[in-house]
Amino acid sequence: MRLMAIVDASVRMPGLEELTMYRTAASIPFGGRYRLIDFTLSNVVNSGINSVGIFPTNPFVSLLDHVGMGKSWDLDRRKDGLFLLPPTHKNGGHLTVGAFAPLEEHRSFFLKSRQEHIVITNSFTVSQIKYHKMLDAHIKSGADITEAVSGDRSLKSYIISRKLLLELLDVYKEKRIISVEDLVNLKKKPYTYGRFEYEGYLAVIDSVQSYFNESLALLDVSRWNDLFLHECPIYTKVKDEPPTRYLKGSLVKRALLANGGTIEGTVTESIIGRAVEIRKNAKVDHCIIMQKCVIGEGCDLSYVIADKDVHIEPGVILHGTKENPVVLRKGERVLKEDVG
Amino acid sequence: MKTEIVAMLLAGGQGSRLKSLTYNIAKPAIPFGGKYRIIDFPLSNCMNSEIRTVGVLTQYQPHVLHNYIGLGTPWDLDRRNGGVTMLTPYAAMGGIKWYDGTANAIYQNINYLMEHDPEYVIILSGDHIYKMDYGMMLQFHKEQQADATISVIEVPWEETNRFGIMNTNENMQITEFVEKPKDAKSNLASMGVYIFQWQKLKDYLIMDNENEDSSHDFGHDIIPLMLGKGEKLVAYPYKGYWKDVGTVDSLWEANMDLLDPESGLNLHDPAWRIFSSNPQLPPQVITETGFIQESFINEGCVIEGEVMKSVVFQDVHIKEGAAVRESVVMSSVVIGNGVKLSRVIVPPSFNVPDNFELENSGSEIVLLTDEIIEKWKGSGEHAFDGNR
Repeated sequence: MRLMAIVDASVRMPGLEELTMYRTAASIPFGGRYRLIDFTLSNVVNSGINSVGIFPTNPFVSLLDHVGMGKSWDLDRRKDGLFLLPPTHKNGGHLTVGAFAPLEEHRSFFLKSRQEHIVITNSFTVSQIKYHKMLDAHIKSGADITEAVSGDRSLKSYIISRKLLLELLDVYKEKRIISVEDLVNLKKKPYTYGRFEYEGYLAVIDSVQSYFNESLALLDVSRWNDLFLHECPIYTKVKDEPPTRYLKGSLVKRALLANGGTIEGTVTESIIGRAVEIRKNAKVDHCIIMQKCVIGEGCDLSYVIADKDVHIEPGVILHGTKENPVVLRKGERVLKEDVG
Repeated sequence: MKTEIVAMLLAGGQGSRLKSLTYNIAKPAIPFGGKYRIIDFPLSNCMNSEIRTVGVLTQYQPHVLHNYIGLGTPWDLDRRNGGVTMLTPYAAMGGIKWYDGTANAIYQNINYLMEHDPEYVIILSGDHIYKMDYGMMLQFHKEQQADATISVIEVPWEETNRFGIMNTNENMQITEFVEKPKDAKSNLASMGVYIFQWQKLKDYLIMDNENEDSSHDFGHDIIPLMLGKGEKLVAYPYKGYWKDVGTVDSLWEANMDLLDPESGLNLHDPAWRIFSSNPQLPPQVITETGFIQESFINEGCVIEGEVMKSVVFQDVHIKEGAAVRESVVMSSVVIGNGVKLSRVIVPPSFNVPDNFELENSGSEIVLLTDEIIEKWKGSGEHAFDGNR
């Protein structure tokens, strides 16, 4: 394969801060059992790419823990494979994709690579894009840089030759451009720009609102079918969770559930992560409940995003709205008297 | 560090009473519990008991099993020292040696055991569902200073004629072993889990191999021989859940036990996890028309119909208007619109056509087959009772 991939996992999303206190945007749980970066990494491997550099930013422990040596994506290779390339000093946390400053710090990574072309992508767009098809279009058009778009929306993924990237790393300061995305937006000369039209599933997660809406949109089976393709699976770090068990008295309608859960209450229009417990007479409606949360007996929740390990004590009533879902932070304990 | 204990897992069984489920795979590879295979239980028990050297003896249709176990990664058995080794019959000087009895299978792999030269050997069988800490049994074995320890479980008196029964004295020392007795003196049945002092076992395996009249079986030959020679054999009483899933009915029962909080078979215990190879599938989706009660559902399923008191494996599609009750639906099955099933096992990748009905009222569980579907089509597509 003549293509390698750069996943810019250092892009800061001001609208996602409530979910990125302890993690990068790339490691935000999505779709019940995934992290946002899974979709990008799966596209990378499903496109036949086996050399990937991830540029994370702090705090990246959760990302590191999730991605590991890349085994779940078959990227634990002797030759090529997965590389985590953290910034050595305060070069992380840019607002645009493919910032030159952190890439420059790992110049030797690009020098050592054997691939001729690089796809520079991000971990906040969820799609089923095929980078090898994008590369074909890129080569055919003869453009210096090709951007993936879907109608008038940018997927913020770019293909560029390794040679040109190395050139840009020499001149970006002088030319006053901070990132590949910036370069494409400004259409700086003398470079030429191409577009690759992508048709298929697309979700851009750049705020709590879009996170909430795009998550619940997956409850539509046709949309679920567009993202979860048999021939192009989405890979994630596997966990040994048993199947979800539904106990007597449970009622579940229009919901997505990961493994390991125990459901005794009512779940409607919601996404339930791994190993979640929903106890007797609890009601969960239009909620995103992440891994290992416990929803106590008789709770009544709607429009709530509960981050990992949230424990909601019995009898808590908590209602957000479609426009303004309540976000409960990782590990929070919610008592009846707290919500009054 | 010297290896203290090596597990020898007998996984060659054909399991012919499981009918079409074992046409192409050995019994230990049979799917169970929504995502597992039977062999996950002994392998996970080894992992949880910190036994790191496991020889898996296969013979009948080993391909699926070998492929499934691979390097042993899901059970942390991909080790530099020890780990999992697949032990198949092989040709040596003097011909090809098919395993002939459980003791013979171990005898044929005597070189493997000599290589590791452990203090103890634990013999396991690959066709039982149970969660057992072999470490506690080993401790018991050491405390008793036994030559061999056999784990036993109390079975209902009326079923004693199905098992190897141990008669013991008050110190749990075995005085007599009777295979499938008509008139049992005790209801302590052998679970097929044995711990031996390796050096002692080696002597008896060699002795047994030289005996032409022997059937080369642990229960029939080795244990009586050791008893006869006055060795100290003790019974280790096991109290937890244990089930031999040798028949379609018992396989179904063990699956149903998962749904019963009182059965003692809890797979949701994080302290004793059952490990398995994990497919990469999306979360399950339950639609507006889906309805689930008292069931186990695995990843990748789309549930648009009714599921009650059932175990549903991964990647199953249950379409609208279908009703599945008290059944086991194995992986990648499609259940068509309006299908009615009760007390049925649906084998993997089976396509149940729209409107098929099999509401089994008999005492025996029906294993769905192509023949049943063909017969139903021939009968003018009326409701079909598998017991007729």
